[in-house]
Parts: sequence; C-alpha cells; structure tokens
Amino acid sequence: MSYKIPIGPYHPALEEPYKLDLVCEGETVMDAKLHIGFNFRGIEHLAETRNYIQVVALMERVCGICSNIHTLTLCQAMEGLANQTPPPRARYIRTIMAELERLHSHVLWAGIAAKLMGFKTMFMTCFELREKVMDVLQAISGNRVNYSMNRIGGVNRDISDPQEIMKMVEALEAEMGHTVIPIFTTSRTARSRCAGIGVLTREKAVSLGVVGPVARASGVEQDLRKAAPYAAYAEMEFDVPVQATGDVTARLLVRALEIMESCKILRQALSKLPPGEINTGEEKFRFITGTSTSRVEAPRGEVLYSVSWREGSRNPSRVHVRTPTFVVMPAIRWMVKGARLADTPLIQASIDPCYSCTDR
Amino acid sequence: MTLLAEIQEKLGSTGTWEIKGGVHWLTLETMSVRALAEAMNALHARFITITAYQLPKDEGMRLEYHWDLDGQLLGFPFKLAANSIDSIFDLCEAADWIEREIHEEYNLDFAGRTYEPLLLRRGDTAGVNLREVKI
Repeated sequence: MSYKIPIGPYHPALEEPYKLDLVCEGETVMDAKLHIGFNFRGIEHLAETRNYIQVVALMERVCGICSNIHTLTLCQAMEGLANQTPPPRARYIRTIMAELERLHSHVLWAGIAAKLMGFKTMFMTCFELREKVMDVLQAISGNRVNYSMNRIGGVNRDISDPQEIMKMVEALEAEMGHTVIPIFTTSRTARSRCAGIGVLTREKAVSLGVVGPVARASGVEQDLRKAAPYAAYAEMEFDVPVQATGDVTARLLVRALEIMESCKILRQALSKLPPGEINTGEEKFRFITGTSTSRVEAPRGEVLYSVSWREGSRNPSRVHVRTPTFVVMPAIRWMVKGARLADTPLIQASIDPCYSCTDR
Repeated sequence: MTLLAEIQEKLGSTGTWEIKGGVHWLTLETMSVRALAEAMNALHARFITITAYQLPKDEGMRLEYHWDLDGQLLGFPFKLAANSIDSIFDLCEAADWIEREIHEEYNLDFAGRTYEPLLLRRGDTAGVNLREVKI
C-alpha cells in the first residue's frame, strides 16, 4: 500500500521553502511532485519599473549567494543594447569575482551537504572556510553579500593589490586541498551516504535540459565558460570536471574538483590582471530598441537574462531571468524515484537548489 | 556546411539568420512550434527557455523559444494572434516548468497539456502577476 508524505514548504529537511509530495511504499519513494513559488516576489515585473541604474541593484537581490552573477549577466545584456564594451581590466575583475562567488557557493553547499550526511564537524570546517572566501570578497568589494561590483560598461571597484588577494587565494586553495577535498572524496561517511543514491542518468539529464554541476555529474560536458566564453574566460586555462555515475557522489566530486579549477582560474586572472580603466566612464546611456540576451555559468549552472528596451525609455520593457535551479529542480523527481525515504533530504540538497533564484 | 546552414536546412526555412543581442535569430514564417521542437530534438539541441512578451496596445503576445547548439544561442520568435499556442512539453520535457510559469503569469494557454500549479498566482486566478490586465 502506498502513502503520501508531504515535505515542506517549511521543513527542517529543506533550506528554503518548496514543497515535495512523496509517494512511498514502505521506506521506498515511488514518485514525487514538486511545488515552487513560495518565495515569488515578482522581480521580473518590478524590473520594468526601475531605471538602468536601479535595475542593477534590484537584480542583485534575486539571490543572496550568486548575487554577483545576476548583475554580471544583466550588465552584459544591457551593454549589448547600450553599445558599451567593458575594458580588459574590468573583464578580468568580473572573472575574479565570478570565481570567488563559485568558491563560496560550492563551499557553502559542501557544508550543508555535510550536515545532511550527519557529518557535523565537516559542516563547521566548510563554514569556517567559507568565511575566509567571504573575507576575500569583502576585501575587494567592501561587502559580504551583495557586492555591487558590476555596472554597465565595467565594474565599480578596482583590485588595487592583486598580490595580497593572491596570498588569500593560495591560503584558501591549500586548506581546501588539505582538508575539504580529501575528506569528501575519501571518507567512509561521505561515501556511504552518497554513493549510488539519487542517480540521474545521462539520458534523463539531457532530456530535462539540466545544467551546471548536476549535468556534468551525469556525464554531460557542458560549461559556458568554455562553450561560449564571456568576461576573460577565453584567456584562462582550466578543465571542466565531468563524472559519469550521476549519483550524489558524482555531484560532490564535480563540485570539489571545480573548487580547485576556480583556484587555478583565480591565480591566472590575478597574475595577468591588465592595467587600465575599470569601466567606460560613462554615466548616461542610450539604449536602442530591441532585445539582448546574455548567458553566464553561475555556480549552479547556466543563467540567462533576456532584456528588452524601447529607445528613449529609462526602464527596460522586459527582463526575463532563467535561473539554473529552475531547470535542475524537476530532475529531483527522477533522482528520488526508488530511493530510500531517509536519503531524500540529501538527494534534493545535492542539486544545490536555490529557491530565491527559482521563484524570483 | 556551417552549423547554422545545417539547422536551416533541417527546418526547411528560406529565411536568414540574424545575429542580434547575442542570439542567432531565425523567424519561421510557416513552421509550427511543434515542428521546430522536433527539428531541434533531431539536432540534439538543448532547450533553454521561452521568454514571453506582452506587446504594446492590443498586439497580443510574442514568445521567444531558445535552444543551445554547441554553445550557440538560437532564438525563434512566434507572434501570437490568439491567446494560445501548441505545447511542446510532450516533445521536450525541459519545457514543462516554463510553459506552466508562462501560463500562470500571462494566462496563456499551451494547447494539448494539463497544468500542475506552480503557485505563481493569486488565489485561484492565473495570470495576474506579469500581464497588464485591463480593468
């Protein structure tokens, strides 16, 4: 006999509100239905009432973790309509900020995953490390969460002492290489809780159009930093980690390896930071009528902004945001089918969901 | 043959690609959205999203369908005279949530499918959030 277990929208197993209706037989999950929308704020609609300065500040608040990515994608799209090209130094600073954000997002996720595994010491270790990434972000931008770094035509703040930031990045890399990554990849606790659970096959990942580390953990080699480079990524050398097994272990490994690749990109970007201006210096912009679209590889995968403008208007006529969690979340249904009920919280967390992004 | 020419041949379109705003746009005069989805599946393109626009005055809606093929962002606009368009959900399951979201935000019908609520609605009324409603 099957029975239904509703989880959420407010539940200790979930970090943010969404609803998961599980159909179980005994301890086995047979099917699941997902409901979102509990954080819906109508931000896309609100964007139509904001001018080109205000809309950047507004979209930075779509997400508290990848706030920088949202303004980067938005500014890139608006630059297409305002005929602005950021100077080389700005493109490098954008790359540095994007990789620091990826680091802090992945380490945050690792901490939450550790907590759900029952590995609380690791949770504390990850959050301590995340604080150090936040310190670097604060040293650059002056802010811990919404960095206000991006603007149309470049960035707002310079990196005045790249060597100082480099020292902090090297210290972070060493600590991640000595503690977080070996423990996550070799400890019995992590292996026993993650191996073989929440499998998303490559075929299903392709069919659902999933993106980011979840896609790469299912054997789909797809990363916009390589496929459609933006900012300064075309000038960086790095690998895209891919795993074939599609289980929670694979998602863990992909993110762990991406942490090391981010450090590699950061070292290159900081050492090659070109001299020059950090933005075009223009304060007033004239937008042409049309639609401009930009895509960026956020920590959770592809973010797309489609921005429409009518010439002469100060406000966009439409801002559409397609976030990675919006396309990855439906995959949870397929990951939990056949799983043990007790594994469900870890499986849903393994996609690193962001409901603020999803609901907008 | 270039990738774009190959796509065009597959779609049987005589239109020309227009590269604008970071997107390769192709307007399909006669092809239905379902035939487009089938062609994109055959090319192993990755569905990204649908962007809905409410056009000024009483011009209706425009939907822009986006796929990715080898890192190239493809866009196909469809102007809707009526308040409905065929669903591609059965051909492309990645389109499920965005069709549901547009249905709730703009009260637009994707013909041939049923909807589970995503909850982006006010009470029992769909389409009150983004669409300008004449009172």
